[in-house]
Amino acid sequence: MRRYRTAALGASMLALVVSACSTGGGSTAPSASEATKPAVTVGSEGFDESQLLAEIYAQALEAHGYTVTRQDFASRKLALPAFDSGAINLIPEYIGSLVRELGGEATGDTAETMTNLAAVLEPKDQSVLDAAPAQDGDGFVVRQETADQFSLVTMSDLAEVAGELKWGLPLECSDNPSCGPGLNSVYGIDIAALQVENLGACSGEMATALNDGGIGVAELCTTQADIERYNFVLLQDDKKLIPAQNVAPVVRNDLLDAAPDDFESTLNAVSAKLTTDELTKLNVLVSVNQESIEDVAAQWLTDQGLVT
Amino acid sequence: MDFLGQVVTWFGAPEQWNGGNSIPVHLLGHLALSGSALLGGLLIALPIGIAIGHTGRGAFLAIAMANIGRAIPSIAILGIVFPISLRLHLGFGFVPTLIALVALAIPPIVTNTYAALREVDRDLVEAGRGMGMGELQLLARVELPVGAGLLLAGIRTAAVQVVATASLGAVISADCLGYFVLKGIATQDRPQIFAGALMIAGLSLVTELLFGALQSRVVSPGLRSAEGAGAPSGASA
Repeated sequence: MRRYRTAALGASMLALVVSACSTGGGSTAPSASEATKPAVTVGSEGFDESQLLAEIYAQALEAHGYTVTRQDFASRKLALPAFDSGAINLIPEYIGSLVRELGGEATGDTAETMTNLAAVLEPKDQSVLDAAPAQDGDGFVVRQETADQFSLVTMSDLAEVAGELKWGLPLECSDNPSCGPGLNSVYGIDIAALQVENLGACSGEMATALNDGGIGVAELCTTQADIERYNFVLLQDDKKLIPAQNVAPVVRNDLLDAAPDDFESTLNAVSAKLTTDELTKLNVLVSVNQESIEDVAAQWLTDQGLVT
Repeated sequence: MDFLGQVVTWFGAPEQWNGGNSIPVHLLGHLALSGSALLGGLLIALPIGIAIGHTGRGAFLAIAMANIGRAIPSIAILGIVFPISLRLHLGFGFVPTLIALVALAIPPIVTNTYAALREVDRDLVEAGRGMGMGELQLLARVELPVGAGLLLAGIRTAAVQVVATASLGAVISADCLGYFVLKGIATQDRPQIFAGALMIAGLSLVTELLFGALQSRVVSPGLRSAEGAGAPSGASA
């Protein structure tokens, strides 16, 4: 009797297992449009604008049903390894600096820089989506009265009086092609011969120091709110030291492949509406009006008709 | 071993010894910051510590305020003072860093000075009063010499903390050894980060040993066993 019972138990368990396996009609993997959308972890690089861009892309994706986690890092040097390891799978970046960081060439032409960037990302199984019109690059800035005193409009003008002013430069300037080496080769400005105070590029301290007279020239970012806030003069990059620096989302291919088409189209739609003026205005809302990044991002997406 | 070799090479490079960002420049800046901060701390904290230690009054308030000062992170003080310093044309990195370091130096000096004076055997103080000593004489001839060990231990703690933390000034471009650490991080130059950290740790160690030696010299031999540990034994005459 016992033997039959064991056999019956075994048989029914086998039947259960077999039936469980054949649920779904024997298909190997569900097609992408039926699967739940892959989880997105968007990274940012510490400064306000980076977090704002990440938040904008994140909220746009969330409006399309994605689950998005935000992860901030203190700098690009910390964010990129995390991106390479898969800890984050999406990050808004600046095409000129990024392509140089990865060993490629950046020029003043957006399309050319984008091609170069796509090429260096390919072996890493990463892709860059459409570039936004908005560009944010390094810029050299003086107070209005300094510009008046020395008749400064362009970087070439500044080069003539470079030694007479105290410069605020970041510690990494000597290594950065958009800074030390570039200033030398393009404008003939040798930073080693200047009076320099070391402050973070594009930082609040840099802007404060310029405003309060501690320094005469500051390295800020071209969409930085402080330029408007303190009525600074951004010197024109007449000899094109700074390359194309369009904002563009960079994504891991494993995320891109696993996601349905609306992932790419959502992000591209956001990028299409992001101009340099829009970005500067948003920065002012965050830095000067002290509005939260979440609120500013949400309001902008609504105003642009990107979310309902 | 290759990494240590790179560190040694870094120390040997000429730019480390010439020019505006050389080791001598930043070492001097670091010593200037630390020395001034310790001096400033002493000028503020010693009178307070002596006053509350001698009279036994106001201790709670003074020590509570000192501990609040310790709880505020130095970098926050840097951030708050920096724009004020610029606006008052007091210069760039030195003044805000100095203020943050003085705030750091005050608590251990106040606390230890108070404890040092409070733990002086009351019998000794009474004996002194009986001999006709005035308050200042009591301080100078009884309380301070007897409490010297613990008092100096407080100064030593303050000195080492100040020397170690002065590196923070590099964040706002002050001349100090922290420059090498931050520069190394900015340029991903690990031998430089290590060299900077080595110099800061080395200087802190030298400070510790120097003040330790000072303590041994200044504290009376009869009290030597109690130095730094607490109250002298009450039974000895």
